[in-house]
Amino acid sequence: MTSHGHGIARATRPRTEEQRQADLDKIARYRTLEDDIRDRVSRQDYDQDTFSLTSKLLRQNPEYYTVWNIRRRCLTSGSSSKPWAMSSLSKGSSTFSATGTSHLASASSSPPSSTETPPSHNYPKTGMSGTTAETTEDRQMRDLEIIKSELVFTVPLLMEFPKCYWIWNYRLWTLGQAIVRLPTHVARKVWEEELGLVGKMLHRDRRNFHAWGYRRYVVDQLESAALAGQSMTESEFEYTTKMIRMDLSNFSAWHYRSQLIPRLLRERDADDQARQKFLDDELAFIRDGLNVGPEDQSLWFYHQFLASNIIDDACSQTIAPALSVDQRRSYIEREIDEIKDLLEDYTDVKWIYEALIQYTQSLSRLGQQAKPTELKDWLAQLKSLDPQRTGRWNDLEAQLYAA
Amino acid sequence: MTEAPATTKQLHLATDAHVQYIQSLDTHKDELDYWLTEHLRLNGVYWGLTALHLLGHPDALPPDETLDFILSCQHESGGFGAAPGHDAHMLSTVSAVQILAMVDGFDELDRRGKGKAQVGKYIAQLQNRETGTFYGDEWGEEDTRFLYGALNALSLLGLTSLVDVERAVSYVASCANFDGGYGVRPGAESHSGQIFTCVAALAIAKRLDLVDQEKLGQWLSERQVPGGGLNGRPEKKEDVCYSWWVLSSLSIIGKIHWIDRDGLIQFILQSQDTEKGGIADRPGDMVDVWHTCFGAAGLSLLGYPSMEEVDPVYCMPKAVIKRVLG
Repeated sequence: MTSHGHGIARATRPRTEEQRQADLDKIARYRTLEDDIRDRVSRQDYDQDTFSLTSKLLRQNPEYYTVWNIRRRCLTSGSSSKPWAMSSLSKGSSTFSATGTSHLASASSSPPSSTETPPSHNYPKTGMSGTTAETTEDRQMRDLEIIKSELVFTVPLLMEFPKCYWIWNYRLWTLGQAIVRLPTHVARKVWEEELGLVGKMLHRDRRNFHAWGYRRYVVDQLESAALAGQSMTESEFEYTTKMIRMDLSNFSAWHYRSQLIPRLLRERDADDQARQKFLDDELAFIRDGLNVGPEDQSLWFYHQFLASNIIDDACSQTIAPALSVDQRRSYIEREIDEIKDLLEDYTDVKWIYEALIQYTQSLSRLGQQAKPTELKDWLAQLKSLDPQRTGRWNDLEAQLYAA
Repeated sequence: MTEAPATTKQLHLATDAHVQYIQSLDTHKDELDYWLTEHLRLNGVYWGLTALHLLGHPDALPPDETLDFILSCQHESGGFGAAPGHDAHMLSTVSAVQILAMVDGFDELDRRGKGKAQVGKYIAQLQNRETGTFYGDEWGEEDTRFLYGALNALSLLGLTSLVDVERAVSYVASCANFDGGYGVRPGAESHSGQIFTCVAALAIAKRLDLVDQEKLGQWLSERQVPGGGLNGRPEKKEDVCYSWWVLSSLSIIGKIHWIDRDGLIQFILQSQDTEKGGIADRPGDMVDVWHTCFGAAGLSLLGYPSMEEVDPVYCMPKAVIKRVLG
C-alpha cells in the first residue's frame, strides 16, 4: 500500500551488453554511496559529511526512508555542537508535539520567494566552534537558514516525484521545526510560503491526492494558535470555487468544498434565511455544471451531498436545518423537475435516471407518493444504459418493489 | 509488453509464468532498480508470497529462506525494517507479521527473533492514545493505512488488547465522508485504498455497523470504467491494484455483485504478461510484483477457477487466516 506509481521493480526491458555494463557501473556507485552512509551511521557519525551524502543519495532515490531519517538525525541528534541538537530545543523535546495534538509536525515550505540558487551544501556552518555565547537570535537565524535550505532541497524532488510520501513527510517535519524553533511571526511566514507551493503543485496536477491532503494540513497549521492564525475558511472556500470553475470534474475540490461548508456557515453566523440563500446558490452552481456535463460523476456526487442536506433533518451539520418538511419536499420536487429537463437534451445518461429514482425515493420518505410507472421506466433505462452494474440495479428493483 | 489479445474470451491466467516471475524477482541484482527498491524488499516478499499462495504454489519460495530473511530485518524494538540496515516502520512490520503467519513462523519468531510480545509492543507504542490513530514510525506520520496495519498485525498475533481499539474505531468513523468513503485523515478525500484500510479495520474490530454500506457501495461500484477495470477515485484511470482495494471493500460489505465480474476478470487477464509472467497496472505496461499480487487477489475474490480463496480483510489466503485465528 505504500508505493503506488513508482518505486516498484519492473520486469526488465531487453538490454545490450553495453547497457548492462553501464547499469553495473551505476549499481556499484550507488552501493558505494549507500555503504559509506551505513558505515558512518554504525559509528554514530552524524556529521556534515554524512549529511552531504544523504543529499546525494536522496537525489537518486527519494524513496529511501531510512536515509531521510538519517538526515533528520544529522540535524537533531548527538552532541550540542550539532545544529539541532536536542539540548538546544527550547520547547518540546522531540520532533513530535510541535503542534499539539497533531503529531505530524510540520509542513510548509516553498522556496524562499527569491529565485537564487540554493547553496549546494545545506548543512549549516555551525561555526563558532564550541562557542557557548551564541545568542537566541543568532540561533534562530541559523535555524531559519537550515529550515529554508531543507525546504529548497526537497522542491525539485517533489516536482520529479510528486507522489512520494517520504518527501512530503520530510517537508512537514521540517516545517514543524519552524514552529518549535522560530519566533511565531517568522515561522508563520515560512508556512505561508508553503501554501504558495501547494498551490503550484495543484496547478500542475489538479487531483494530486497528496497535495490536497497537504494543503488541508498546511491550512490547519496556519489557522492554529501556534502560528497566531485565524480561520481561513472563507479564502479556502473561494479557492475551491476557483478550482471548480477551472475544471468541473475536480472531485477533490468538490470534496473539500463539502468539508468547508458547515464551518463556513457557522463562522458567518448565518441565520436561517442566509442558510437557505446559501443552499439556493449551491444548487444553482451545481445545476450549471450538470447542464453542461451530466456525464460527470463528480457533479452528481456533489448534488447528492446537497440533496442529503435537504432530506436529512436529523443531521446537525445540515446547511439549512430549519427547513420545514413542506419546504424540503418542494426543494426535492424542484430538483427532480430540473433533472427531468436534462432528459430533453440527454437521453442516454444513466446518472439522470439514477438521480430521478433516488430523489423520488427520498420524496416518498418525505410523504410524497411516487408514480410506479415512472420509476419502472427509469429503472429499465438504467438497466439498459448501465449493464455493468446490473447486480446493483436488481437490488434496487427489489427494494422498490418491497416498498 | 503484453499485447492486447484478439479474442479476449480465450484468455486464461498464466499461473506457471507468474510463479516463475515471482521466483525470479531476487535474481535481478544486475539491475539498478533492484537496488533502488530495497526499501520495499520485505513488502515485496509479502506481495510475492501472497500471490504464490493464491496461485496454489505456496512453497515456490523456500519457506526457510523466507523466514531467515524476515528475522534478519527485525530490530531490538521488535519492529521490522524493509531490509537489513533499514529503519523499523509500521508498513514493513505488518508485512513481516503477515509473512510469518503464512510460513507458520510465529514460533520461530519467539525462538530466534525478538518474540511476538515485542512486536506487539512496537506496534502498540505507535498508537496516538489521544486520537486512536497510528503513526508509521517514530517520526510521527499519521495515516489510516497504519491504523489498519496495526489492527491487522495485532489480531494475527492475538495482541489487540495492547491498544485502544475503541478509540481507533472512532478515529476511523471520523474519517467518513459524505460519499460513504474514507480518507487518510478526517476531512481527507475518499480514496479506494484508504476505504479498504478503514473498512477492513472496522471489520477486524467487528464494527461494520458504522459503515454507510449503501452509499459506500454506490461510490465503489462507480469505480468500474467501461473497459472493465476499476479506478481509485472519480475521473481517474483504471489500474489493476484497485481490483483489490475496491473489490475487497465491496466484498466486506457484501456487494461484490454490484460490478461486472467478467469485465474485471478480462481486464486483469489482459494486464498479464503471459510469457514472462507478472501482471501490470493496465494492459500494455510493464509488470511488477505489487500488481501481480493485487491482480491475483482480485481474481481470487472474483472466484476465478482453481485459485486459493483470499480473505478480503487480510489480503491473505483464507486457509491461513483460519489456521491463525481459529
